Amino acid sequence: MGDYFHAIEVGTDKCRGSMRCMRVCPTEAIRIREGKALILEDRCIDCGDCIRVCPEHAIRSITGSYEDLSKFKYTIAIPSPSLYSQFGIHVTPNHILNGLKGLAFDEAYDIGRACEAYTAVLKEYLHSSSENRPLISTLCPAIVRLIQIRFPDFLGNLLSLEAPRGIAGSDKIRKAKELGIDPKDIGVIYITPCPAKMIAVNQPQCKSDPNLDGAIAISDIYGLLFSSIRKLEKMEDLHLSSGIGLGMAVSGGLITDLEVENAMAVDGVKNVMQALDDLENGKITNVRYLELWACPGGCIGGPLAVENPYLAKIKVAKQVQWLGRERKISDEEVDRLREYLSCDVQLRSHSLKPLGRDAVDAIKKIKERESLVEGLPRIDCGACGAPTCRAFADDVIQGRAEILDCVFKLQDKVVESSQYALSWARRTPLSFRKRGKETKQMK
Amino acid sequence: MAEQKQDEHVLEQTFQVKGGDFIHAGEVSSRIKTFLKEIGVAREIIRRAAIATYEAEMNVVCHAHRGTFYLAIAPDHIKLVVEDEGQGIADIELAMQEGFSTSSTAIKEMGFGAGMGLPNIKKNTDDLHITSVLGKGTRVEMVIFTQQ
Repeated sequence: MGDYFHAIEVGTDKCRGSMRCMRVCPTEAIRIREGKALILEDRCIDCGDCIRVCPEHAIRSITGSYEDLSKFKYTIAIPSPSLYSQFGIHVTPNHILNGLKGLAFDEAYDIGRACEAYTAVLKEYLHSSSENRPLISTLCPAIVRLIQIRFPDFLGNLLSLEAPRGIAGSDKIRKAKELGIDPKDIGVIYITPCPAKMIAVNQPQCKSDPNLDGAIAISDIYGLLFSSIRKLEKMEDLHLSSGIGLGMAVSGGLITDLEVENAMAVDGVKNVMQALDDLENGKITNVRYLELWACPGGCIGGPLAVENPYLAKIKVAKQVQWLGRERKISDEEVDRLREYLSCDVQLRSHSLKPLGRDAVDAIKKIKERESLVEGLPRIDCGACGAPTCRAFADDVIQGRAEILDCVFKLQDKVVESSQYALSWARRTPLSFRKRGKETKQMK
Repeated sequence: MAEQKQDEHVLEQTFQVKGGDFIHAGEVSSRIKTFLKEIGVAREIIRRAAIATYEAEMNVVCHAHRGTFYLAIAPDHIKLVVEDEGQGIADIELAMQEGFSTSSTAIKEMGFGAGMGLPNIKKNTDDLHITSVLGKGTRVEMVIFTQQ
């Protein structure tokens, strides 16, 4: 799947193959080869769980750097709503927007406006549509990938709605007109809590034409932004929106604003996989809106976020309460932004290829794997470079590993060949051998 | 009774499900789904198989002491035989009607026992045979064709 952009890479200079990433990867997309982590591209959903656990900080997100800003004539920073919860409780969204503007950005976008518009349109849609099936939120790009790879059945349930970050990015066309410059010279840079948002830059899931030009990790800009905020002397009124929709930084936070019954929020890839599995089984029924997040706790739990996610959660709640739930943007602005909300990308299934050429071949391979698994120690030691014995057996039947790559199997083999060697070692030289045996053995 | 033939083209697996074990209900269904996805069976058929299997698991969990699931996946069909030790079904025809349920209030309060189990299995399978001995147990045999 070469056409598949990934936002995560292994820094092989630092990696020493600790296996922590391999064990924690929810889609079993990591193997250890040549002492280094190797990402199986067709399975990785860019959730970034591996980044969190790497003791060597060898797994990197392919986010941009602050220096990239010089490529553009005019730059707009778009904060992830989660950025607002990364500082002290007295640091308001307005401080943060002013702080961003104090850096090399020409403008800091009031993301709350896009959140208000997004919330208004989604709410309207949920309340007017009489569809039975649960609609699945597309705010988390890693979840969209998970559905493409593992649950393509639910592709049709995905909300075809641009995220606030994309709405904000789309506004650059208007900005370009206003400034009288080429839209290409405007750089719209998202300040992101996770690598997955790089997908929105490089391989958008809603608009075929990317409306973000880059993303910088919160963790990369944190120090600079922190001192920029501290140095603020006077502030402009850059934050004019309400608290509506800002709660989306936390799993389930948006649901309060949507006022929709039977809405469910699930966070953490493994929990999401379980929920989707239950949905497939018909165990989850009557759910109208399903908000799924790859990160524990939602975006505040992103691998590139800095603040303790539990503290951040409190701050989000306080900010939303403080900013109020009275819409600040006009109906006209909602209508204007509404145009940016519709998607033109047809999300395709990226489901893993069947195991065989046809059903007969696939069944043969599955049987082979199942009997291999039976013969393995099933303690998931990982020495073979696969996260579980089952995954190893899978690697064997797909030609990615050999059975003797299992240390236990190798040991069995060593015992077997030692016994064979021993039987030769015990062979009595002919001169000492009892009579009657030589003819037989000499044959 | 499980299929005795050792056809090399048939993937056979056996699973045990315990009555009252709500936590693990759904595991057989998940395994079957994984196999079918690996074989490359059409998604709509996987969905039907998942629902039918899950309902069969829930039937054992809600109504029986224990059940054995014999799964046979052939290139063109899936066959699932569930044999349980339990109370049995007094009137199979009645049990096949939507909304009919003998589940206890406790189970209904948990959101199960809506009387949709067997009708749902019927709806999602191509062939269904149920035999039952009251006080002994029930045998459900279902077939889903996987080649459209």
